[in-house]
Amino acid sequence: MTLVMVVDDDQDLAEMLGIVLTSSGFDVDLVSRGDEALEVFRNNPPDLVLLDVMLPGIDGIEVCRLIRQESMVPIVMLSAKGETQDIVRGLEAGADDYMQKPFRDKAELIARIRTRLRRTNADVTGLLTIGDLVIDVTAHEVQRGATLIQLTRLEFDLLVALARDPGRVFTRDALLSEVWGYRHSTDTRLVNVHVQRLRSKVEHDPEHPEIVMTVRGVGYKAGGPA
Amino acid sequence: MRSIRQALAQSLATKVILSTVVLSLGVISLAGSALFSRLSDGIQSASLTSSLAESKFTFFDAEYKLVISRNSTVEERKKILADIIVNSTTQVVKEARREVAFLRPATTTPSKNSYEMSSDLIVPKSIPQSLRKQIAKSGEVKYAYAKIMQKSGVEEQSLVVGKRVNIPSGGMYEMYIVFSLGNQQATIELIKNSLLFTGLALILLIALITFLVVRQVVRPVREAARIANQFTEGDFSQRMAINSQDEMATLARSYNEMALSIERQISRLENLSRVQQRFVSDVSHELRTPLTTLRMASEVIYNQRQSFDPVVSRSSELLSAQIERFERLLEDLLEVSRFDAEVAVLEPSEFDVVNLVKRCIKDFELGDTDTDSGIRIETESEKVVIKADIRRVERIMRNLLSNALDHADDQEVVVTIVATETEVAIGVRDRGSGLDESALIRVFDRFWRADPSRARVRGGTGLGLSIALEDARLHNGELDAWGRPGKGAHFVLTLPRVAGDSINARPIKITPEDFHQENFYL
Repeated sequence: MTLVMVVDDDQDLAEMLGIVLTSSGFDVDLVSRGDEALEVFRNNPPDLVLLDVMLPGIDGIEVCRLIRQESMVPIVMLSAKGETQDIVRGLEAGADDYMQKPFRDKAELIARIRTRLRRTNADVTGLLTIGDLVIDVTAHEVQRGATLIQLTRLEFDLLVALARDPGRVFTRDALLSEVWGYRHSTDTRLVNVHVQRLRSKVEHDPEHPEIVMTVRGVGYKAGGPA
Repeated sequence: MRSIRQALAQSLATKVILSTVVLSLGVISLAGSALFSRLSDGIQSASLTSSLAESKFTFFDAEYKLVISRNSTVEERKKILADIIVNSTTQVVKEARREVAFLRPATTTPSKNSYEMSSDLIVPKSIPQSLRKQIAKSGEVKYAYAKIMQKSGVEEQSLVVGKRVNIPSGGMYEMYIVFSLGNQQATIELIKNSLLFTGLALILLIALITFLVVRQVVRPVREAARIANQFTEGDFSQRMAINSQDEMATLARSYNEMALSIERQISRLENLSRVQQRFVSDVSHELRTPLTTLRMASEVIYNQRQSFDPVVSRSSELLSAQIERFERLLEDLLEVSRFDAEVAVLEPSEFDVVNLVKRCIKDFELGDTDTDSGIRIETESEKVVIKADIRRVERIMRNLLSNALDHADDQEVVVTIVATETEVAIGVRDRGSGLDESALIRVFDRFWRADPSRARVRGGTGLGLSIALEDARLHNGELDAWGRPGKGAHFVLTLPRVAGDSINARPIKITPEDFHQENFYL
């Protein structure tokens, strides 16, 4: 069974999320305080974390940072405030995706969770190269020479999506649909923030990217071989 | 000329100094010329009196000598005349020189023995004819001021005093004494120059004094302007210094009181705005979380509706629909409060606006099941990349399209895209019921409905167009509306190609072209 940890201080919402997730076939751990989340996380590591931004104890963004320090588990932030800075802060703290309350429908929530849990690019196996990096898709590893680069699942998926189709220019919308599983969304901030985070890990100089190249006015593409 | 006028208009100091100089120039030249004419008159009349007295004596002396010479020969008499001339001319220095001339009256015929003679230095012919006529008529002493020609060729201002004298055996002759006024002229010239010099020096001094005085007044005024400027630029702590008891101090005090009052008002408003922002944020959080629960719960119920009896089943449908409507309303309300609190932030990115519009249209066509109205797109270029907040532009488009479809009365809606170097315009034209003048004024008002009795097909919140307008203005763009009853409506969104730049032109005119054509053929 897949375990989803739900961290939300609103007990009714948490219970409702529990009902919905359970009926969709997930196991659910409910946590109502930010300062308890990490302990529960360590005791019973979940496959995915649903994390509210506003939490008693320590806030969701801090919880996200703390979890990210020790795990590459997919994290989806739940935000009641539609304010951009909250969303961007959450993404920068390491969240893979975010959902704004109220969710469009139950199906959307479940779809997002499934996308984050699914091994994307399952059809690709073996080794891929992008710039001077070697990606072992099967082993889920990225190496530069002998150095192993730690990436979250989402960052890995993003890199693979670019690397498997070296000549193609990906629009932000295309990446949103291939990596995040959105049918359509205009929130390209998600892509921007993750590209920046990915660059900070894989580029020699994130200011002059050679691996994830920007195509002005269109989107991104894979850098040529080194 | 324009630059002088500009300098006058711009600088108080220049204006004051210039007008002071002009006025004192007038006063000083009036006083100076009055003084000058008094002085020169005085000098002239004094010298006239003495010259006349001297002349009378000389005439008397000459007449006496001539009377005595009654028995002398012509030669002796000429000698006497020459003596008279020499006596009256040699005794004086050059400037106060006098010359003597004996002239035969013009009326008498020349005789053999002419006694016409004069001192060497003057040309007798230059003695004015008018004076000579007067002398010829009466025996009195007469005088005139005239320019007398010197033998050297120089004309000199002179006083000419004349009298008839009887030369025995020679008849009547005119005797003239010519007083050179050179000396007097020099004195008058000196006075004139002194007056001019003093006047000029006075004016310069007055200008200097005015400049110093004006600077005393203008400097605090400039200082006040500088402080007011800084205040305008947002430095509300700026105050004017009070270091005197004069009117400037009064001004400074009033200004400082005003500044203090404004500062308080602003901080009060800032506080209000902060409270408002927190309220918006709190409402957002507090309402959204229960709404999420409601939404999910209603969905669970809705999905089970087949197993309920019809009344409960229909209720679950209504519940679900109304929660959705409530949610849209909440989103719009929050957006409106963000605009009101001026916390709405633009997040520009580069994207292809044609593609965006096409996607919006596609979404409407898919979701549109109740009505048949189609949307046609007309664009000159297949790709127009702009830098704008894509979320807001999409929201504007959705609002305009849904508004047009709501009012299109099943007629086709046409979307036009025209781009220039600096602007892009998107027109949405429907041929439905249209809008009248009074509706056009209110069409962007919150919760305003064109026709309150009209059913809302798409269930808009009544805030869509007002949010669209705010979204457009946040980009420094504009959203205009046109409408005629029965002729449909036309909404035109004009955005700068780069958000925040200004729009200089309207690539799409607000009055639709088809409307012009129709009216032309009518």
